[in-house]
Amino acid sequence: MQTVSSTADLDAIDSMETVLAVRDLKVVFSGFQALKGVNLDVGDQEIVTIIGPNGAGKSTLLDAIVGKSPVASGQVIYHGQDITNKNSHEIARMGIGRKFQNPNVYNDLSVFENILLALKGNHTVFSSIRSKMTRLKKEKIELVLDQIGLLDKGYTKVASLSHGQKQWVEIGMVIAQDPTVVLLDEPTAGMTADETHLTGEIIKAIAQSHSVVVIEHDMEFVKQIAQRIVVLHQGEKLAEGSVGEIQSNPRVIEVYLGREQIDSAA
Amino acid sequence: MTEVVGRIRPASNVPTRLLLFGGIALLIFCIFPFVAGEFQTNLMAKLLLFGALGVSLDLVWGFTGILSFAHGVFFTLGGYVAAYYLKLNLSASANNYGGTLPDFMVWNGLTELPWFIAPLQFFPVAAIAMLLIPAGFAYVIGWFIFRSKVSGVYITIITLAISSALTTFFISQQAYTGGTNGITDVSKLSLLGIVIPPIGLYFIILFFTAALIAGGWWLTQSNFGLILRSIKENEKRISYLGYDVAGFKIFIWTLSAAIAGIAGGLFVPLNRFISPVYLAVAFGTQVVIWVAVGGRGTLFGPLIAAILLGQVQNSVDRITQDWQLIVGFILLLVVLFLPDGLMSLLPKPLRFTENNQVTGYLPPAPKKR
Repeated sequence: MQTVSSTADLDAIDSMETVLAVRDLKVVFSGFQALKGVNLDVGDQEIVTIIGPNGAGKSTLLDAIVGKSPVASGQVIYHGQDITNKNSHEIARMGIGRKFQNPNVYNDLSVFENILLALKGNHTVFSSIRSKMTRLKKEKIELVLDQIGLLDKGYTKVASLSHGQKQWVEIGMVIAQDPTVVLLDEPTAGMTADETHLTGEIIKAIAQSHSVVVIEHDMEFVKQIAQRIVVLHQGEKLAEGSVGEIQSNPRVIEVYLGREQIDSAA
Repeated sequence: MTEVVGRIRPASNVPTRLLLFGGIALLIFCIFPFVAGEFQTNLMAKLLLFGALGVSLDLVWGFTGILSFAHGVFFTLGGYVAAYYLKLNLSASANNYGGTLPDFMVWNGLTELPWFIAPLQFFPVAAIAMLLIPAGFAYVIGWFIFRSKVSGVYITIITLAISSALTTFFISQQAYTGGTNGITDVSKLSLLGIVIPPIGLYFIILFFTAALIAGGWWLTQSNFGLILRSIKENEKRISYLGYDVAGFKIFIWTLSAAIAGIAGGLFVPLNRFISPVYLAVAFGTQVVIWVAVGGRGTLFGPLIAAILLGQVQNSVDRITQDWQLIVGFILLLVVLFLPDGLMSLLPKPLRFTENNQVTGYLPPAPKKR
């Protein structure tokens, strides 16, 4: 019964407009093939969760999308436009936001300043010189601070926050950036169970108006947010489907879930 | 939480404390030439210019994280422009050879003024060139360095190479640059036919330095300043927020070179000569020392350090010729015990290093319940 309903979900997703498409993507690091021809489609307001063992190429896939890792062959298509190997600031301006695996935030700046930097707007040299702090901007930033639960920490330097709070600051930066596609690399790493759950709710809220791609290890969390799961293994796509389908896929169990079960049993 | 949001402090871009201290400092500098002798007035004018040069380096090193040894070069390029202007405006009788051609060109067998130097005899051309030549040179270098994503210590090595190469080039082109001696015996600066007395020059220089500090404060307090500081901390991250990091670096690099060029241009009427000494790595290193001793990213620090070290050098000079030993010792002390420079000795509210544009808008940090 469960599989039937999730297949219906998948059909619905197929009919949605594809916002971001990755076509036969290959990334090579000095001879090592980190990605061996991966395909991925992300629909409008969809959450795609990528799982896979260490070294599967999950982060590399996101790196290739945002122009951090050079693409050897294949294409990244965003709204029908080829953005392969474009400059990272150009890709960001087009509407792709990224949260990194380790919180990649400005420790020397306050939480407020971190969000201010990310705030959607004209990011050229001259506009930033003319740019003034306005009540509207302040309210927008406070809205984000409220969303990530750090409203009372706006004045605090990020350096003095906990690891989990830093993760939220970076999620807040992505929210403030207001991209069309949000790429989140292990957003709950280092978080307590409560923090993880809250992060899941934040991500669901983001997905109301954005397309979201999440890399995750925590299966509980994946179940909380996932609509569609993509399993990567050794630079290739191993499987794709709903939570139920992935959990019952024998190949996935063999390379990933199976080993995890053994790990947790040990 | 809503209670906290309700208490919004109005934005005040310049703290009262800063206005007060700035006003007092400006007043002291205005009174100074009337109290001190002509020697001290000239020395202070020179140190203000060195301070301004330090501030220009602080914008790229302290705020943006690009260590440059080439700021002496930008300073000297502005200086040569001013020197050509003043040399070409010597009255014929004051000129060693009675003609209009500068003495060093006569010695080196030139019979007429080279076409690329001739326009510099006109004040508006020279005034613009003083700013545009260092800025244009910096823009070209900056474009290649920053667009090709050279970073960190490699930029510093390139600036060292530029400094060495230009020193050699200027020495080798004796007919056009005066070689090792540089351009000497220049005329006094006169505006609208009136020769500017030393005290007038002092006030022009004071005005320039004060305007630079005010402008630098405004710039580093803006959103732009916040972006510079984030480039310094992590330039990759900010590119994923849609900022063209190379564009920001090229802009501040070029602006900083223009400031250094103006300082160099004002230096020549005061110093009455310019030579490749100021192109060399040793002078570029001195600029780095002012910023390091004063405090990186503090804006006021390099100015204070340049004045203090200059006065130390002046006092020590009377006793021993080894002033560099003393300056070296001070640098060692600062690097070992005060890595954030002299400004870090001041209590935090008097450093003015926080981005007030943002903090001014924030509610005060909530009290612990």
